[in-house]
Parts: sequence; C-alpha cells; structure tokens
Amino acid sequence: MGGMHGFGHVEPEPGEPVFHAPWEGRTFGLMLVTGAVGLRSGPLRPRIEGLPPAAYLASSYYERWAAAVEVALVDEGTLTADEIEARAATAGPEPTRSEATSPELVAAIPRFLDSPQPTSGVPVDSAFAVGDRVTVRRMAPEAHHRCPRYVRGASGTVTHIAGGWPHPGDDTPEAVCTVRFAMTDLWGDDAEPGHLYIDLWERYLA
Amino acid sequence: MTATGDAQDQAAHDHDTRGRAAAPAGAIERRVAAIESLLVEKSLITSDTVDAVVAAYERDIGPLNGARVVARAWADDDYRRRLLADGTAAIGELGYGGAEGEHLVVVENTPEVHNLVVCTLCSCYPWPVLGLPPRWYKSFAYRARAVREPRAVMAEFGTTVPDDVEVRVWDSSAEVRYMVLPLRPPGTDGAAEDQLAALVTRDHMIGVVR
Repeated sequence: MGGMHGFGHVEPEPGEPVFHAPWEGRTFGLMLVTGAVGLRSGPLRPRIEGLPPAAYLASSYYERWAAAVEVALVDEGTLTADEIEARAATAGPEPTRSEATSPELVAAIPRFLDSPQPTSGVPVDSAFAVGDRVTVRRMAPEAHHRCPRYVRGASGTVTHIAGGWPHPGDDTPEAVCTVRFAMTDLWGDDAEPGHLYIDLWERYLA
Repeated sequence: MTATGDAQDQAAHDHDTRGRAAAPAGAIERRVAAIESLLVEKSLITSDTVDAVVAAYERDIGPLNGARVVARAWADDDYRRRLLADGTAAIGELGYGGAEGEHLVVVENTPEVHNLVVCTLCSCYPWPVLGLPPRWYKSFAYRARAVREPRAVMAEFGTTVPDDVEVRVWDSSAEVRYMVLPLRPPGTDGAAEDQLAALVTRDHMIGVVR
C-alpha cells in the first residue's frame, strides 16, 4: 500500500493494550500454535495477501490473520469449511477449554518467541555490489512476493547485501540487497526530501 | 463477554476499519471461538498453549526489551558498535531474539540523520524487542503514507525533524526487521542503564518520535 492516498491520519492510541479483545489474542495464539504442532504448513502471509482486495481492506489486522489461519486449516484438511461455518453459527464467544494440557509445548513457547536464534541470512554470491546503481524491474506477479509497486521502475543504489534468503516459494537462498532511493525518484520533484531504504531480492533488480 | 465489552469491540472495530464495511460485532469473535473449539474438541491443540502465547506478549515481550538494548548502547560504546554491526547478535547478548527477530538491523539516529521504520506490504515488526505492533503501525494510513510523506506522518505524532536532518525511511518488507537507535537525550551523563531505559519509548524505536 506504499504511497496510496485516502486513508486519513495516523491515529495513535494512548495506553493501547496488546490485544483489544480476547479474540485477537486467541487468533494470534492459534496462528502460532497451529504452525508449531503441524496443523498447517507454510507461511500465512501469502494467504493474507491472497484475500480478495475488498475483503482485505474491510478487515482489521487480526481479522486478516483469522481468515488466513482458517483458510490454511481448511487447505490442509485439518478442518472443513462446513464444520467451521456450522459451528460459528451456533458458537458463543468463549472457546471450549481443554482439560488436557501440553506442558512441553508451553515450555518451548518462550524459547521460540523470546530467546536468541541468530539465523541471519546466509552468505551468498550476489550479482550486485555495494554502490551499484540498480533499477527495479517492472513486473506484475500474481504469486506472493515482496516487491512493493511503488518502487517498481525506480532506480536506486545498493547500500548493503543483507544476506541470502529463499525467495517466497523457493528453497535456495538468493541475495537480498538493501537499496537506497531518493524520495524524488519515487514520488516526483515535489516529494519530501530524504531517502527510502528497502530490501529487495536480486531477481527484482536489473 | 459483556454487552459493554461488545460495544467496546464494535467501537474498536469501527475505528480500525474506518469508513469501510465491517463485519457485525461478535461475528469474528464467534468464528475464532468456533475454530479454537473444534481444534480443542478434536484433541489437536490444548487451551494452555494458546494461553501461553497470549501471556508471553501481554506480559513479557514488549518495548522494554528494546529500551534495555538502547540504554546499553548509550551506556557502552563498544556495545553500541557491536549493535550497529550485527544487531541480531548484540541483541542476543541481552537475551532477546526469536520469532520475527531472527534478522535484526539497528539504524542509528545522529544529529544529521533521522530513521523511520514501516512495513508497507504487511506490518513486519521486530517482535522480540518491541513486542507486537500498535494498531496505528498496522493501519493503512501509516503503511501508505510513511514512505511517501514521512515528515507529515511524524508531525501527527508531534515530531518535527529539522530541515537539515536527512530522513531515512526503512520499508521492512523482506526478511530483515529494523529498529531505531534514538539519540541519547542531553543531560543524561552518568545516568544508570535503568534510568536511561526509562527514557526510551516504543515510538522512539520505530522513529515516529525523535
């Protein structure tokens, strides 16, 4: 959504809680737990971005997560769309509580969420070097990717090779370059002064 | 959930998706409850695991972690250099890391440079040091505007960056998560790290406040 107009002011909320309602926390917890226990596989971002645009724009952040978790569980065959639909029609706001517990998984959660895991990008050869002038390719991919529209076609300078990561949908690491753009090269002569930095897989660059 | 709670949820929901059609209050709540209930009743998950994730972010993982990193960098110049050279490793020295913190880069504010972090594609955010993002960070307004008119956005937080300071916006849409190392406030020489950490807010580390 970089650069779009019409969304109004940014509205900070003093004293904002982490979750604004219990269901937001449950959604977030389900997102992590269903992944941890193997009830769904693969990242959820493609599923969030795969929502129809009108639904995406009409949904809050955790509504999008909830939709993505639901789609993933149905795709994996863990639940069926019909049973979710039927249950949602009659469910109360409080989920069923299990008698059973999972002490090992509960103990592992802090290690996953909050302990150092230095797994930064692996060193890879890059077609580009720091200081290179690059232009972002024009493209219109349908599959999940990480190249925002607002940088496509613009030229900038490589400032850093962040490391190698598999591009979404791929298995092998590919160089990700940090590219610096002048604001005027993105937004025109009357842009605010300054620079934009963004990490781009080298397949996006020429 | 009480009627008052429903009303608050509805108000929050309207606020979140301002000007657009919104799901009826309670529909999403029932849908999420249905999914969790089905998973629990099929013995695929247990409730305590979801509780543990919620508790971790409500209680333990928040911007105080990042504030401690900043305070250490202000107090210890060697640490500051390590932090700027390899954020993931230096932040790991303080015991922080994990989901959405596997590849951390810290960008330093200086008298000449001010940094601002956004994710235009979704809402990527360095969870281990800042916790989960505030609603405004995830808002369409912030995601759309921070890259195009960062000074105008910062002004909405009461922040004026002097004209001779270069604004650098970091769109963290790939695998690296960014955090800002703010300027150390004047008059804090000799302050202990705990005192320094108390001066650092989440908004400093996102960069909407200088």
